[in-house]
Amino acid sequence: MKKARRASAATELNITSMMDMMTIILVFLLKSFASTEVNVTPSDELVLPFSTATKNPELAVQLTVERDKIIVDGVEVMQLIEVDDPNNPGQKVPAVAETDLKGQLIGPLSDRLTEKAETAKAIGEKTGNEKMAFKGQILLMVDSKMPFNVLRSVMYTAGQAQFGEFRFVVYKLRE
Amino acid sequence: MAMKRRTEPSQELNLVPIMNLVTILIPVLLMAAQFVSLAVIDSTLPAIGPPQPMEEEPDKKPLMLSLALSQKGITILGADMVLFPEGAPPAPAEGTEKPPTLPCKSGSTCTGLDDYDWEQLRVKLNLIKDQYPDDQNVILVPDNAIHYEILVKTMDVARDDDQTKDADGKARLLFPFVVIAGGAI
Repeated sequence: MKKARRASAATELNITSMMDMMTIILVFLLKSFASTEVNVTPSDELVLPFSTATKNPELAVQLTVERDKIIVDGVEVMQLIEVDDPNNPGQKVPAVAETDLKGQLIGPLSDRLTEKAETAKAIGEKTGNEKMAFKGQILLMVDSKMPFNVLRSVMYTAGQAQFGEFRFVVYKLRE
Repeated sequence: MAMKRRTEPSQELNLVPIMNLVTILIPVLLMAAQFVSLAVIDSTLPAIGPPQPMEEEPDKKPLMLSLALSQKGITILGADMVLFPEGAPPAPAEGTEKPPTLPCKSGSTCTGLDDYDWEQLRVKLNLIKDQYPDDQNVILVPDNAIHYEILVKTMDVARDDDQTKDADGKARLLFPFVVIAGGAI
């Protein structure tokens, strides 16, 4: 009898301390629960700049300019090339390949964005909902070291595709 | 002995179902957790269309505040009468370039984000805002090689000044509406 009781005690796990830990983790995770609609996956190629801006992002077409590629709504559109930095010899800066450029317009990006704008307009007309109407808003997520000539071409191309309201996505510095 | 054993299990709470629940909740919340919070800065393309009718004020020229960003520093354009009340500085000798209003701290070429003179820019923009309290627009004219983070920092400095509080205790709004111009091509 005595032997059997000892064996049953050994198989039972004391989970109280684990419960304590779990409860704390649960509270912490609930606190950091995402409340915004926009999400960014940070990587080596995409480090957003920090800013004191406080406006919360709203859902719109997402245009991501990483150091090596351009992505629209999660789908890669084109690659960027690396060229020598004219101001800092020996360093490389991202640039748009000459073959993709027509003046300031970036060909592949322009096609994709025009497609997106037409889809968004069609949805807006079909639903007739004020909220769904096409307002030309676009979320720009750009790597903090991106030179302005790439950014200007991207902004120009977006503008030509009727996306004229830019929202630059940044990391919030102050709460 | 037998009776004692029967009452023993009921004294301890069965935590296993709660554990199950919590173990499922944690991955779900981990997936949805956001460890960095995001914000957006609004900007528009320079407006294309008929010029806006301006209310003519005979004594006051409209402010067309522009900030030119280059590797050499920041140049404030369109506000010379505020920055130089005694008249603009003499034009530089032929063959030399006009130096920027706010040169880099370390010398002729800025090495990074912190090398630009943000503190002086804040002071100067406050001066301009004192003269033009109703103006809210600023045009950024960056050079080709200027990094995006410098643009964002300039927008931050131009938007509000958290060292000067207004009546409500909020940061003083300077020039929150930013337009990015094509820049020097």
